[in-house]
Amino acid sequence: MSDPLVSIRNLGLRYGTFRALEDVSADFSRGTCIVICGPSGSGKSSLLRCINRLEEFQDGDVVFDGASLRACRDLPRLRSEIGMVFQHFELYPHLSVLDNVTLAPRIAKGKPRQEAEETARRLLDRVGIGDQAGKFPGELSGGQQQRAAIARALALEPKLMLFDEPTSALDPEMIAEVLRVMRDLARNGMTMLVVTHEMAFAREVADEIVFMDKGRIVERAETARFFSAPTAPRAREFLDRILHRL
Amino acid sequence: MNLNYTFNWGMLLVDPARSWILNGIAMTIGLSLLAWVFALAIGVTIGSMRMTRSRWLRFLGGAYVELFRNVPLLVQLFIWFFVFPLLLPRDWMMAWNGLDHVPLLTALIGLSLYMAARVAEQIRSGIAAIPKGQFAAARSTGLGEFQVYRHVIAPYAFRVMIPAIASEFMTTFKNSALALTIGVAEITYAARSIESWSFRGIEAFTVASATYMTTTAFVVLFMGWLERRLRIPGLIARR
Ligand SMILES: Nc1ncnc2c1ncn2[C@@H]1O[C@H](COP(=O)(O)OP(=O)(O)OP(=O)(O)O)[C@@H](O)[C@H]1O
Ligand SMILES: [Mg+2]
Repeated sequence: MSDPLVSIRNLGLRYGTFRALEDVSADFSRGTCIVICGPSGSGKSSLLRCINRLEEFQDGDVVFDGASLRACRDLPRLRSEIGMVFQHFELYPHLSVLDNVTLAPRIAKGKPRQEAEETARRLLDRVGIGDQAGKFPGELSGGQQQRAAIARALALEPKLMLFDEPTSALDPEMIAEVLRVMRDLARNGMTMLVVTHEMAFAREVADEIVFMDKGRIVERAETARFFSAPTAPRAREFLDRILHRL
Repeated sequence: MNLNYTFNWGMLLVDPARSWILNGIAMTIGLSLLAWVFALAIGVTIGSMRMTRSRWLRFLGGAYVELFRNVPLLVQLFIWFFVFPLLLPRDWMMAWNGLDHVPLLTALIGLSLYMAARVAEQIRSGIAAIPKGQFAAARSTGLGEFQVYRHVIAPYAFRVMIPAIASEFMTTFKNSALALTIGVAEITYAARSIESWSFRGIEAFTVASATYMTTTAFVVLFMGWLERRLRIPGLIARR
């Protein structure tokens, strides 16, 4: 277990002249679930988007499964090994839920339709919406849409799952059903990087917490230690605010 | 109101008015449909050029749109008709002038290229209306750039663009009337001929107006049908 699945090395990302990420370094081992938190604008989304190169970073590198992203010549192949789940689901509205899940396996990976659909149905069952396969995204509740989006990401059999605030756009009663799916994934050994403000989820599921501020990782700790005694003052402040908000 | 004018609709039904009208209608519809096909093909190509990563293609696409959209169609038709042949090498010019239906070909070129710029612009704004997250989601699943457009963005954008594209189609019809200025005997030209031959302008131009209104009505019906057919279940029109 010595080689990490993701190794971020002195990563730097600029939007124009604005530095969104500065000298970020971190290793994430296989099979771990890491929760990333921090104030708005601290660079959490940017960090996730660098890991599948949705953003082109300027400095440093990310090594995924032993291969440098900077040197990567085949982005589609890299990305098909990394599933991503978005705050606003981003299902394709003109395709049925089933077609949403099978599109990339069929088009990008060339799987036969029948095989892709079998996998898709199995995944939709697994996230608890097997009966919604024929509907369109607009006909589903937010929680169901997000679970469909998780199934879409899983259909590529990714080695890593990135979640960017997957429950932030959901009504409270739907948050639990999405978190349950994510918890099951983590329990089954999926490597996960999760940006979330759901501290109860973090406490229960995460192996480690990463705290970001102003484009840097300012604290990283095992979950229990992070919640009992965060060392960085900014992290303590943030934790106070977020825990006492409810 | 005391209108000192006796209508004579019957004269429209006898030659030469009758054949002028029929030929005019055929010319208007034929010219507009052909121009529309070219405008779509060229417009989609130019629109796509503006989506690529190549700075050069983007520049060329943008320059095309600005040029053809901002010079009035009438001026463009005159340029194609009077100036363009002069710029050709001598034997090409002879060949061009020797063709049948030079005014019609000129009108077809002018109208197609002009409408293509407008179509390209509609495509650009249609795609700009697609949420950025759709691109991110499609890319994140490992679709290549062309596949992203082909399977996710284009089908979505097309539905968003139907009303705008329908309106451009009707614009093509109406703009085809300008072809009369270079001697194409479309329906407005026919109406003018009837007017100067019989001094019955009201009847003649009523027929011309009716032609445009009827085709427009058909387009509206067809587009309504298309929109219903392609309606995305559960997606409330965003605008
Ligand atoms: N495309 C962009 N162009 C310019 N600046 C950007 C862009 N995307 C993000 N930024 C800026 O980069 C910084 C980090 O953004 P990022 O989205 O990574 O933050 P975040 O931690 O995910 O915040 P939030 O909790 O609000 O989602 C912010 O200040 C943001 O304004
Ligand atoms: Mg964010």
